[in-house]
Amino acid sequence: MSEQLPQTNYLDPEVLQKLGDLELIAREVVEGLRVGTHRSPLRGFSTEFAHHRQYAPGDAIRNIDWRVFGRTDRYYTKLYEAETNFDCFLLIDASSSMNYASGKVSKLEYAKFLAASLAHIVLKQRDSVGLSVFDSAVRAYLPPRSSMGIILQIDRLLRDIKPTPRTSIARQLHDIALMMKRRSMVVLISDLFSSVDDILGGLDHLRFDGHNVVVLHTLDPYELKFPFQGAWCFEGLEGEEPLTTQVERIREDYLASFNEYLQALRDGCTASHVDYTTVDTSLPLDGVLSEFFFKRQAAMNGARL
Amino acid sequence: MSFLNPLLLFAGLGVALPILAHLLNRYRVRHTPWAAMQFLNRSVRVRSRQLRLRDVLLLLLRCIAVLLLTLALSRPATHNPDGSWLPGERRAGVIIALDASFSMQQGDGNSTRFQRAVELIGAIGERIHTGDPVSLVLMGGESRVVARNMAFEPARFATILQQQQASAEVLDWDRVPKQLQELAEDMSAHQKEIYLVTDFQAQTWNRPSTRLLAAFKALGESASVFMVPVSGGPENLAVTDLDLISGALRKGTVARYQATVRNCGPSPVADIEVQCRADGVQIDNKRIPLILAGSSETVSLFVPFHNAGPTRITAEINGDSLHADNVRRVVAVVRDRVSVLCVDGSTGDAGRLITAALLARDDGTEDDNYVVRSVPWLSFPGQDLESVDVIVLANVPEITPDQTEQLVQYVRQGNGLVWFAGDRVKVAEWNERSAGRGTEAGKMESPLLPAVIGQLVDSSDALGAGQPLDPSMPDHVLCRPMRSLPEDLLSETRFLKRLQVEPTATSFPVLNLAGSDSPILLEHTLGRGQVVMFTTSAEATWNNMALTPVFPMLMQQIITYLAGREFEQPRLVGDSLSLAYTEQPDASDAVFDSPSEQSLTVPVRAYRNQYVALLEHAREAGFYVARVSVQAPGMPIAVNVDTRESDVTCLPESELRTRLEGTGTTVAATEAELLSAMEATRTGRSSWRFFMFAGLVFLLLECLFADRLLTKQWSRRQQPEPSPAPAEVAGDA
Repeated sequence: MSEQLPQTNYLDPEVLQKLGDLELIAREVVEGLRVGTHRSPLRGFSTEFAHHRQYAPGDAIRNIDWRVFGRTDRYYTKLYEAETNFDCFLLIDASSSMNYASGKVSKLEYAKFLAASLAHIVLKQRDSVGLSVFDSAVRAYLPPRSSMGIILQIDRLLRDIKPTPRTSIARQLHDIALMMKRRSMVVLISDLFSSVDDILGGLDHLRFDGHNVVVLHTLDPYELKFPFQGAWCFEGLEGEEPLTTQVERIREDYLASFNEYLQALRDGCTASHVDYTTVDTSLPLDGVLSEFFFKRQAAMNGARL
Repeated sequence: MSFLNPLLLFAGLGVALPILAHLLNRYRVRHTPWAAMQFLNRSVRVRSRQLRLRDVLLLLLRCIAVLLLTLALSRPATHNPDGSWLPGERRAGVIIALDASFSMQQGDGNSTRFQRAVELIGAIGERIHTGDPVSLVLMGGESRVVARNMAFEPARFATILQQQQASAEVLDWDRVPKQLQELAEDMSAHQKEIYLVTDFQAQTWNRPSTRLLAAFKALGESASVFMVPVSGGPENLAVTDLDLISGALRKGTVARYQATVRNCGPSPVADIEVQCRADGVQIDNKRIPLILAGSSETVSLFVPFHNAGPTRITAEINGDSLHADNVRRVVAVVRDRVSVLCVDGSTGDAGRLITAALLARDDGTEDDNYVVRSVPWLSFPGQDLESVDVIVLANVPEITPDQTEQLVQYVRQGNGLVWFAGDRVKVAEWNERSAGRGTEAGKMESPLLPAVIGQLVDSSDALGAGQPLDPSMPDHVLCRPMRSLPEDLLSETRFLKRLQVEPTATSFPVLNLAGSDSPILLEHTLGRGQVVMFTTSAEATWNNMALTPVFPMLMQQIITYLAGREFEQPRLVGDSLSLAYTEQPDASDAVFDSPSEQSLTVPVRAYRNQYVALLEHAREAGFYVARVSVQAPGMPIAVNVDTRESDVTCLPESELRTRLEGTGTTVAATEAELLSAMEATRTGRSSWRFFMFAGLVFLLLECLFADRLLTKQWSRRQQPEPSPAPAEVAGDA
C-alpha cells in the first residue's frame, strides 16, 4: 500500500470510515502509535532479539547494547522479536444495538476499526490473532493465526452478518470459551447492553478458564451524555417498545441509571480481574488505544490510575 | 341567558389554540433508533407517563381558562326573576336625565328644586354598582351630556353631580325622549334604566302631546323608565317684557319703556316694586299695587340718555324666589345726533309734511342733535350720505342705477331708508332699478325695496271715503305707539289710493288696510339696515294720514327704529347671537364675552354677501358683549330667559300617573318608592365577574403549574450534567 493518509486528524473515526480499507486503517492507526511520544505498547511481550536501533529518549537503559557502544561509541537499543506462542482473541459484539450511531460512525464500525488495529498490533509482534463475532449467537469463529489476512476476515465477517437482537452475553461468552483451546488474551469489544450479572457471569467464565480478559466497552457519546433536547421518540434497536418523552425531563433519571450500571460493571470487572475500559466512539482511535495500553502498563506495574 | 357581546363568543374558538399547540408539540416529536433502551424502561417510562398527565392537565387548565375568559368578555346575564343557579350581581346601565331648566331654580324654603333633584340622584347612585355604565345628561333647550357611559365611581359621580347647576334655558320636551333614546342605544348593558328627574310643570304635562307620550312609550321598550318628580310651590312673578314704546334713542332725550310683570302663581300678589336701571344705575322705580293670579300688569319706565353709546337697561322685581325671570334686559344704542334727509320728488308738500312730522315737539324748538332736511330729488346726487342716518324718498319718480347701488350700500351699512309712493313715481323704472341683480357668484342680491310695485289702486268706497288702517296690528316696534291710540283716531286715518304691491320673500307687512290684506307699510332687512316702504303717499292727495296725529307718531317711531342698531333687539337664552360685517374684517374671529365673563371666540364666515360671526347657542341670561376682535370695543347684547318656563306649577303626582298611563314608565314620587321600584325592576343578573374571576384563577393555576415545571427544568439545566468521569473514558485524557 503506497497510499498515505493526510497527517491531520487521520485517526478521526469518520475519516477512517471513508477509507474503507480496513488493513490500511489498522496499519495507519498502529503506525501512529509507534512514532512520536507514544511508548511502544507491546514492549514486554517479546523476548527474541530482532535488530538494533539508535537509542531514543525514553528507551529503557537496560536495553542499551553496551557492546555496540564499546565498539562504536554510540548508543543502540536492542529490539526483540515477539514470541509466537501468544494468542489474542478478539470478540466482537455485532448485535443490533451496536448499530447505533449518533454521528456517522456506528459502534459496530468503531469496533471493527478497533479490532483491526489490535489485530494489526498483535500480528506485527508475531503473535496469533483469533476472532469471534457474536450477537444472539456465535456467528463466526476463527481460530488464532498469525497472518494479516485476519484483518480482511474481520471486515468480511462484519459486513456479511445480519445483526439480530441479543438476549444474553453470558451464553455467547460461554460458547466461545468452550471453543478456545489455549489460554489467550481475550479482548471483548461490545456495548454490553445487558444485565450486569449476565455480563459478569460470561466474563468470569473466561477468567476461570485462565484467559486474560480485556473489555473495551464501546459506547456512543449520546449514550454517555444523553444530550437530546425537546421531544424524542426512542425506538429500541433490539425490539423494545418505543418511548416518546420530553428528554429534558428524564435526562437526570437516565444518567443516574446509566452511571449506576457503568459503576456496577466497572466494580464487577475489577473484582474479576478483568481490564475494563470505556471507549467513546467519538474519540480518535489512536488516543483510545494509547490510553488503553498506558493504563494496562500502569496496571502491570502496580500503579494506581 | 343572554350575552351583551354575543359575537365575542366566537373567541371561544380560541380554545383550539392550546389544543393545536399541544397536538403540534406531539407531532413535532423526532424519532431516533436507540440502543440503550434498558435505561429508559423503568422509572423513566413511569416518569414519561406522569409528564404526559401533566401536559394534559396543563392543556385542560388552558382550555378552561380560555373558555371562562371568553364567557366573561361576552358579558353573560340571566333574566330569571326567581334567581338562577349561576352566581351574578343585579346590575344595570343607568341614564340619569336631570332637568336643568330655570324653573328648577325655584326655591322652597332652604333648597331649590334642582338641589332636591341632586339629592334624589344621590340616592339613585347608592344603588348603582361600581363599574356599571352611567350617563348623566342635563336637560334644557339643548341637552348637555355631562357623563357618557362612565364607569360608575361613587366619589367621582358625586363630584360631577355637585358641580352641576341649573341653567337659564327652557326645557324642550320634544327633544328629551330622542336624546335619551340615543344615550340608551349608545350604552352597553343587559338592563338599562333611565331616570328622569324633573319638576313636571303643569303647563306641559296637563295636556302632554300624544307624540311626547308615544316617544316615552317607545323609550320604555328599550329601557326601564322612571319618572322622578321634584315638587315645589307654584308662586312666581316674572318680568316678561321690556319694550321701547316711544322716544328717540338720542343723547339728551328721554325714552319711554314698558315693563310687563306677570303673576304666574295661583294667588294674587300685591305691591310689586319694579326697578329700572340704566348701566347699573337705578333711574326709575314703579309700584304695581296688585297682580291677579295668572294676569300681567305693565308699568312705564322713563329712561333718560345722558351719554351716547350702548346703554344697558334692566327692569327688575324683587322678593321672588325664582330669580332667573325677575329681570328683563334691553340695550339702547344712543346716538350723538340723528340726521334725516328727506328727498322730495313732489312739488314740495311731501317734504314739508314729513319734516313737520319729524320735528314736531312740545316746545317747538330746534334741536342741534336732531337734524331733518328736505331736498328736491334732483339735488339728491350731490348730497353727502355719510352724515345721514335715515333717508326718506317721497314721491321720487326714479333713480339711476348708480343711485340704486349707492342706496343699497347705504342701507347695508346699517342705515335706514323710507320710501313713499306718489303720483310721480315711475313704476316700471323703480321695479327695474330696485330689483335684485345677479352677482358674479350667481346669487341674487336682495332688492332695494321690500315689494315689487304694481298698479295704482283706488281704495275709496262708494261715498268717496278711503279705507282706515287695520286696528289689529302685529307686535312690531313701529306699531307699539299706535296700539295705545284710541281706535277712533285710527279709524279717522283714511287711505284713498295706494299702489298695489307684491311683497318679496324677505319682507313682511307692518300696517294693513282694514278689511283687506293690502299692505300700507312693509319692511325688510338689507344687510345691517332696514327699508320701510309706504304704498301710499306722504302728501294729502292719496290719504289724510299726514294731517292726523298718527303720522308724526309713526314717522318718529320709524326714525327711532331705523336709527337704532340690530343689537337693540333682545335675544332669548338658546338663541343665536350674530355679529354681521358688510366688508371682510381684518380679524378672522369675533369674540363674545358671556355674562359670566367667559370669552367665546367665534370664526367669521361669509354668508349672503355679508360676513357673519355666529354664536350658536347663548346659554346664559344677561348682557353678552360682542367684539369684532379681542382689542375692539364691545357692543352689549341683552339675552333674557324665555318666560314660557315661568309658570312653575307642578303637576300633582296622581295626575302625572294618569297622564303617563300606558307609556310603560314608572312614577316614583318619593325616595322610598324609587328604591322599591328599582329593586322590583332590576332582575337581570350579570355573571361576567364570576366568569372573569374563575378564568383568572384557572389562568393563574396554569401559570403556577407551568412555572413550576419550567423552574424544575431550569434548575436541572443549571446543575452539572452527570456524566462518566473523564478519566474513566478511554481517550479523554
